Amino acid sequence: MAIIRDIMPAFELFQPANINDAVSLLDRHGSDAWVLAGGLDSFDWLKDRIKRPKVVVDLSQIAELRGVREVNGGLEIGAMTTLTEVVRHPVVKEKFSILSHGAESAASPQIRNQGTLGGNVSQDARCWYYRGGWKCYRAGGNICFADTPTAINREHAILNAERCVAVNPSDSAPALIALEAQMVIRNVKGERVVNAEDYFVGPAIDITRMTVLQPGDLLTAIRIPATWAGAQFYFEKVRDRQVWDFPLMNVASAMVVNGGNIERIRIAVNAAAATPLRLTAVEDAVRGKARNAATGEMGGKVAVTGAEPLRYNGYKIPLMRNLVKRAISGVEEAKWA
Amino acid sequence: MPAKISPNQPAYRLLGKNYETPDLVAKVTGKAKYAEDYRAEGMLFARLLLSPMPHARVRSIDASAALAMPGVKAILTVDDLPAPADAMTDLGQVIPANKLAERGLTNEPVYQGDPILAVCAVDEYTCAEAIEKIRIDYERLPHVVDPLVTLRPGSPNARVEGNVWLRPVAAPPKPGQPPPPPSAPQVQELKWTDADFAASKDGQLPMGKATDKWEYGDWEAGLKNADLVLDETFVSPNTSHQCLETRTAMAYWQNGKVYLHCSTQSTSQTVPAVARWLHMDASDVIVISEYTGGGFGSKITSSIQCIIPAVLSKKVGAPVMMRISREEEHFIGKARPSIHGRMKVGFTKDGRITAVDMFVLCESGPYDPQGDANQAGRQLSLMYQPPAMRWQGISVLTNTPPRVSQSQPGGFQGIVLMEPILSKAARKLGIDHVAIHRINAPEGKASLGPAAGGKRPYVTSAFIKEALDIGKASFHWDERKARAKRSGTKARGIGVATSCFVGGSVGFDGLFVIKPDGKVYVQSGIGNLGTESVSDCHRVTAEVLGIPWEKVEVTWGHTGRNLPWTCPSGGSQTIHAMTRAAFVAAHDAKDKLQQIAAKDLGGRAEDYEVGGERVYRKGGGGSMSLAQAAKRAIELGGIYDGHEIPKGVNKFTAASAQNLTGQGLLAIARDTMPRDGLTHSYVAGFAEVEVDLETGRYDILDYLAVADVGTVIHPRALGGQILGRSMLGIGHAVGQKWVYDQHYGLPLAKRFHHNKPPTIMEAPTKMAWEAVGLPDPETPIGARGIGEPPVGAGCMAILNALSDALGDDVFRRAPVLADTILASLEAGRPMEEGLTAHI
Amino acid sequence: MADTNKIDDTATSLSRRTLIKGVIAAGAVSSGAYLFRTSVVRAQQSAAGSAERLVTLTVNGQQRRVDVMKQETLATTLRYKLGLTGTKLGCDRSECGACTVLVDDVPHYSCSMLTHTARGKNIVTIEGLASAEGKLHPIQQGVIDEQGFQCAFCMSGFIMATAGFLKVNPNPTRAELAHGISGNLCRCQDYDKILTAMMRGAENARKVS
Repeated sequence: MAIIRDIMPAFELFQPANINDAVSLLDRHGSDAWVLAGGLDSFDWLKDRIKRPKVVVDLSQIAELRGVREVNGGLEIGAMTTLTEVVRHPVVKEKFSILSHGAESAASPQIRNQGTLGGNVSQDARCWYYRGGWKCYRAGGNICFADTPTAINREHAILNAERCVAVNPSDSAPALIALEAQMVIRNVKGERVVNAEDYFVGPAIDITRMTVLQPGDLLTAIRIPATWAGAQFYFEKVRDRQVWDFPLMNVASAMVVNGGNIERIRIAVNAAAATPLRLTAVEDAVRGKARNAATGEMGGKVAVTGAEPLRYNGYKIPLMRNLVKRAISGVEEAKWA
Repeated sequence: MPAKISPNQPAYRLLGKNYETPDLVAKVTGKAKYAEDYRAEGMLFARLLLSPMPHARVRSIDASAALAMPGVKAILTVDDLPAPADAMTDLGQVIPANKLAERGLTNEPVYQGDPILAVCAVDEYTCAEAIEKIRIDYERLPHVVDPLVTLRPGSPNARVEGNVWLRPVAAPPKPGQPPPPPSAPQVQELKWTDADFAASKDGQLPMGKATDKWEYGDWEAGLKNADLVLDETFVSPNTSHQCLETRTAMAYWQNGKVYLHCSTQSTSQTVPAVARWLHMDASDVIVISEYTGGGFGSKITSSIQCIIPAVLSKKVGAPVMMRISREEEHFIGKARPSIHGRMKVGFTKDGRITAVDMFVLCESGPYDPQGDANQAGRQLSLMYQPPAMRWQGISVLTNTPPRVSQSQPGGFQGIVLMEPILSKAARKLGIDHVAIHRINAPEGKASLGPAAGGKRPYVTSAFIKEALDIGKASFHWDERKARAKRSGTKARGIGVATSCFVGGSVGFDGLFVIKPDGKVYVQSGIGNLGTESVSDCHRVTAEVLGIPWEKVEVTWGHTGRNLPWTCPSGGSQTIHAMTRAAFVAAHDAKDKLQQIAAKDLGGRAEDYEVGGERVYRKGGGGSMSLAQAAKRAIELGGIYDGHEIPKGVNKFTAASAQNLTGQGLLAIARDTMPRDGLTHSYVAGFAEVEVDLETGRYDILDYLAVADVGTVIHPRALGGQILGRSMLGIGHAVGQKWVYDQHYGLPLAKRFHHNKPPTIMEAPTKMAWEAVGLPDPETPIGARGIGEPPVGAGCMAILNALSDALGDDVFRRAPVLADTILASLEAGRPMEEGLTAHI
Repeated sequence: MADTNKIDDTATSLSRRTLIKGVIAAGAVSSGAYLFRTSVVRAQQSAAGSAERLVTLTVNGQQRRVDVMKQETLATTLRYKLGLTGTKLGCDRSECGACTVLVDDVPHYSCSMLTHTARGKNIVTIEGLASAEGKLHPIQQGVIDEQGFQCAFCMSGFIMATAGFLKVNPNPTRAELAHGISGNLCRCQDYDKILTAMMRGAENARKVS
């Protein structure tokens, strides 16, 4: 079959008006169905004609999937809430600003106006071999093209690679993990809730999926508990171009400092591995220590323990080390005369 | 932002002033039509099937299932296309066709993405379904995507015929005869030896046999006697032009003529190109291109693929639109060739260059040979005025998308190779960076390149030293230099770079009519690609005739509307070439007005002057309005209203003029004015950057470009060109590149987020431009083109500033991204693979 | 000349003719009927409960009934069925912004939104910015004032993105506006002059309101 791109193949389109209808459609069509949220990731696959679902279930008409609600001092954010709505929400800004910063660093203004929080955490890997239609492990084949001697892999994983070396590209995911968020998932059988760091699956568990979502499942909301409201936050994303680009690496931390000591901390990075990584070893190492440059340096070193660079991504080790350091002890800002 | 023209520039009524261009309202309201915006009744659609392999031979095509689909109208392969045709020069000499050149479709795809066939159907959805039903049996052929790899012994060749371009040297002209046309280039196999590769070390470019060379002066003595000799390798990137408008085309036929809506930089010049591709008479080709969404050298005469909808349209008897997708544009939209360069440069202790020994390896892609390697040497020899120089070049084929000129072709690469060396020499010798540029800068009728006919060619003028002086003051160079370079986790640096390129050509035609309504109807064959020269050049017409701009109507963009022979809009020729053409045509009108006045009002023609929309007797007396003179021109006929066309003009212009006969006073002339030297323009760029030492990221805090472009015609358009092309260069510094997996020979980066053209967020926080304003002495209006030189200055001012912030040996190729900086800072030495292509 | 009549401004003239031919379901207004004739795509079946092909769009204040494929993007509908070619396709992949339109006042890439998703929403394109009498929108006037842009293929997208951004922040700094319209690519790289023109447009808009 010759290849042609940039024309979407035909599919059946459903636009359910509520969650119940959506999950019953997803149940009925099983693995033939494709869930369309903002569509920014989906349309790439569809226009490349690589993924060819029979049925597309467009969530855009489901009002109950959209909006930010305050719940017990925390928030419940509908999965179809756009990134722009998350960024601009006053409570997100005031109490959970790393989420605002993370969401704002994603993609471009128009993409954030349409792309959703649910879509951002559920998006597929961006490895250029995989997305180019190469038949790799993740695409059901039996090779990782990004891990061969001639592979160009500057954007790939330095940690936890298991056959596939692609990374998770989400910018909101590390912020949600740092905030101890939970993902609410519905299917026809009912609702289940998983912790943000458990929402993502790596190749060791399932090499063809990025999240725990199975056919028939729908991510409906993201809950952020009051636990870290108003904590000290740090978010930073390093990318090639300052708009549109996926992260070379990003970091998010939430921290409670008492008397100069780190009392509580959660820290996560993304684009270092196939899943966003919560850095529990770093959290354990710095908890109770003075919040200063030395602790930051130490945390950074702990973070990259075990990192294994590929041919072109060795820079990610100092990058992760330095970002984790900054997420703990801040940036030493320049003071130009 | 801040912009300034130096008071050097003489005052004009219109020139040097801003005005509203005639195309602007259509642009802001969305009414401006680009090729894909046209519709025709019964229009069909075409899409391309691209090669999935980097190099193969098509054994057979089974399109039966596709052709059987409802709505599928036709399939076109290379067998349906005309063979490559010879070209004819203005002097009537035949340039034989390059038999290995791109034809639009092919049975021997030579890169992944090379179009094999086109499917025509009632809509694109059907085209896509049909393409998926086509079965092609390919025979895989060896491939190579790295120009150095193909030079290794025993390595693959990109073409069956070989891996390097050679152009056999033509016999010298016989006395009294014009020089012979260039001979057809040939592909041959050339491999370097293991010893050639072993001789270079530490990322230095091996230097095996070159295919071309030239030299002047005693470069060996120059290097031997130098106080400092630097031997450096640098690699410039392949960069796709990525015009925002892809090269979509729509065609239909009417009464034996083909009407082609395409995207082209040059309206008039596209006609003979299309005629040659289609083996048709130029008078049967109508090109419509009122608005072109960017070109940058990749659409000088559109693209050969535009003949596909034309041929299909004839085949199916209906209009055909072939929309080119962004991914297809990545392949057929062409790119600037990369250059691997190695240079030995000698300096005296006070910074003057003593000699340059330059070796360049140009990656030419799979089709036409590129002139970038040679032009890199020529422009370098102009910009830095080495008293002695040797240039050696080799143009290598790879199985990657076709290359073509891109803004400052070759000149850019020459600047990119030289600037890091100049910058390093300044640091080693303890000389100010502006000073070392000034010491080596050209002035006056400076020489460039090797001798031709016993004498080195030279330029018309150069005021780059003035540009450096202006920039040094405006940028507060010395103050910035005195500041601290490190604070916290940040480092700052400042950089300067100079750059030059061809800025004009001669010999084209001007054509307009003064009608009895008193207005001037200018015919413009210039492409409307955003430079605004399509109307800017004709400001000269109004200036010379002394009429208000509001009385000038410009017709452009449709060769059925009687346009004159016009220079290609490329290589920054236009503002120079076409202000000259406008100038001679305006003077032709002036002469005719004076003659008509003398006939009617008595006296001699030279007793009359033209101004204030009238022709009047000097010192008082009779006068007549332009409207009256236009009426009289029609009555007089002959030369006055175009019944007689002067012999000197191009036949293309003559044919257009004949259609305008009898409408008023017809002004028509060819630019035969003398010019002593080759016209070039210059830019000095100044930049400050701030680097985050913990992430490798950097921001450009400030950028100033000072341009030596002669007389400024339209300040805002000029500013757009200067800063726009500066950004194009900055893109080469901060991100643009290709990525290939060498084993498979396939591209990984085909999308904007992979190839990384700069966004508004990459633009310097502050940008400004200034113009020296000194008129070029060899052209009547004094204007030169500016599209090219800002590119090299933009790129290298940034990279020199980075070196200032970080020291030498952090990077040795462009672009420089955070990963390169961070890895090198971490290791204390360059960590990037210096020579591997497309990483 | 005959040929110019044929190709210029065909959007409106063609719509009438194709409508009379009744190529598409009765009541549908389509200037792009030539897009969808007898072909594989006409055979597209609709399952019960799935989206209807005939939809009503509100574009530039007008209700437009149009026959839409399931997989059709808003950009395709605007350009090929409603004759609104001022909206450009630069990449078709959310990477350039040339196709930006306002959907309920918010800038969206029309290449990356299904037309079906835009049902019932208020869509404004570059053609809908100037007043009915032809008075330019303050941002369009800003471009005229500053001779912004070069080839202008990105222009309508930039103008629409700016129009949307100014609804949220009518008085931005230069840096804020740059960030606000950073989802638009200009390959002429005329960013500095574009930003100047858009800042001028913002100033014009503040004077009007």
